[in-house]
Amino acid sequence: MSAMWRIAREEWRLWARSRVVLLAGLIIAVLIVVTSVLTALRVTAEAERRADRQASAEATFFAQPDRHPHRMVHYGHYAFRTPPPLAAFDPGVDAVTGQSIFLEGHRQNTAMFADTRAGADLGGCAALTPANIYQLLLPLLLIVIGHGVVLRERESGTLAVLLAQGQSGRAIAGGKALALAGIAGVFLLPLAGLALFTAARAEASQASAAAALVAGYGLYLAVWCALVLAVSLWVRQRSVALGLLVLIWLLVALIVPRVAINTASAMIDAPGKIESDLVMLSQQRKLGDGHNAADPAFDALQKQVLEQYEAQSVEELPINWRGVVAGYSEQKLTAMMNAFAEDRMRREASQSRIVTWFGLASPTLAIGAASRTLAGTDLATHHRFLRESEGLRFDFVQGLNDLHAKALTYADDAARSTDSAAEQRTRVNAASWRLLDAFRFAPDPAEVRAARALLPLMVLLGWLVVLGGAIGAGARRLRP
Amino acid sequence: MTPTLEARSLVVMRDGAAVLNDVSFAIAPGEVFALLGGNGAGKSTTLLTFLGFLQPTAGDVLVAGRSVGDDVEAARAKIAYLPEAASLYGHLNAYENLGYFLDLAGRKVSRAALDAALDQVALPTEARQRRMQSYSKGMRQKTAIALALLRDTPILLLDEPTSGLDPVAIDEFHAMVQALAAAGRTVLMVTHDVYGACQVADRVGLLRGGRLVGSFAASDAGGRIDTETVHAAFAAREAA
Repeated sequence: MSAMWRIAREEWRLWARSRVVLLAGLIIAVLIVVTSVLTALRVTAEAERRADRQASAEATFFAQPDRHPHRMVHYGHYAFRTPPPLAAFDPGVDAVTGQSIFLEGHRQNTAMFADTRAGADLGGCAALTPANIYQLLLPLLLIVIGHGVVLRERESGTLAVLLAQGQSGRAIAGGKALALAGIAGVFLLPLAGLALFTAARAEASQASAAAALVAGYGLYLAVWCALVLAVSLWVRQRSVALGLLVLIWLLVALIVPRVAINTASAMIDAPGKIESDLVMLSQQRKLGDGHNAADPAFDALQKQVLEQYEAQSVEELPINWRGVVAGYSEQKLTAMMNAFAEDRMRREASQSRIVTWFGLASPTLAIGAASRTLAGTDLATHHRFLRESEGLRFDFVQGLNDLHAKALTYADDAARSTDSAAEQRTRVNAASWRLLDAFRFAPDPAEVRAARALLPLMVLLGWLVVLGGAIGAGARRLRP
Repeated sequence: MTPTLEARSLVVMRDGAAVLNDVSFAIAPGEVFALLGGNGAGKSTTLLTFLGFLQPTAGDVLVAGRSVGDDVEAARAKIAYLPEAASLYGHLNAYENLGYFLDLAGRKVSRAALDAALDQVALPTEARQRRMQSYSKGMRQKTAIALALLRDTPILLLDEPTSGLDPVAIDEFHAMVQALAAAGRTVLMVTHDVYGACQVADRVGLLRGGRLVGSFAASDAGGRIDTETVHAAFAAREAA
């Protein structure tokens, strides 16, 4: 171990005395710090703004005057997805999925206001996040610094001198691995700092997710260190090693992710929200118009309700037939919309799984999936936001429909457009709007996120094991 | 007496061709053996095989009576190796280079001992703190020789050790090698320099096309190998 440590120390001394290495390291360090600070500031401000807007939307809803309950169904409400603390490191799908949803009766609206749309004004610079730096640029730095870690010794003849001092190839490879890991460790410090900052500000669950995130990136950088070392051990020329490593970087960091996305799209057709809305509209017409209580689509319901209340006509019912139709229609409509939404989300999740499996060919894809999941900014979290906000929408719409059915008489409701007194009586007390539940979206507990991130992390571990084998074999045959 | 270094019917093939072909010799403790030969004769290959960097295709190489292949690290621990190109780190100064390689060899050496060795090879004092990238070839060679001395091993393998040295330094180096041999060290050096080899070696071998084609011992020639004889034999073998 002491020989490995000594070899690593010497490598660090070389890098510390190299202007190229120092400059490259400085550039990456500045990028990490700048993007971390800017992203953290942006996400923190965004989190506060969304929390404020959520409270404001609720206050506005509660402040509505006495109204007909169905007007409140259409008045609607907003649900905001507050970004989790670790979104400051990896905003994940937030950038493209939108952060808020307008909730109203009879519709499931699309999430709006994605970061990338707002970021377009900044020439796309908003897309440069600390996670991007760690996933894409740090491996490049490791390649630049480390491709000659063994080859430099071979080409300058010092490898023969090292071996002649009685050091085994394994000790030399171990020392070089330690040196590269040390560099990776230094660059993990800002992430660890961010994790500590998060831990200090958030609950314990967030802290353990942050620790898992640091460990995940440690594993990812270890994979790159191992790859760089393996190439330096097996290839005979520095120029070839550099070219090969850059080619691998292009493949795993840029090309394979693109191929993965295209393959997932080709294998599983996931029509977008707008496309599926158009298909849904044609089916929606078959369900009947919930605003028209006389729609033949509700004849069977009318018969059933009249039998239940032993009434001859809807006018004799102790409840408001219009409200009953509104509630029934909303239930049927929501079931259909949910079926479409679940199908769409299932397809998107399947696409996401295919992309994650491409991590077998690209550690960058694997860490991307693990990073988003641990940060609480993955597709599954977004889907949960959609489901929870839909639950909120359904509950408040059905709460209002219930009021419609129970607090209003059918006669007043039917006459309200022609009789101002009836119209007044169909207005329910504003205190009723309190039926709206407060909505606060929180990321999954750390253990749930860690369980979801296990697959991509295991893929990274597999990479490390394979590359470790290549290093071991290369070290055994290490000759000047 | 067990030879310190021994090659037994050594054959080394590289890229399908025999670089060494049935080479046998034995070097006794305290003996200086010089291998002479032209480019590609197999001189450096012989040294690399004793270091375990190359595997014999047939035959064997032994260090202190034990096959190198049995425990290559044990063999290397007995050997100080001076490569042809003095390969040390340009970003380190002489002290740092020596300290690093001696650390790896498991030797703790004081600054005074480092200075003594550097004095012995006549490396200027003012140069010792400078990074080696500013050194001349001769200064690098002197530092590498100092490293070989400081290893304090029973065996020295020297590949073109006087390459880059000025005439005075060459003479001093030869005197140093003889002193080391007198102290019991075994030296195997490979060189193009017939005159230097005859001056310092107890025995000279001629390598040609991977075969050991001749051998001259100082003991057979009244204590000193005659340069003209070796030169003539060498030239004759080359011509053949």
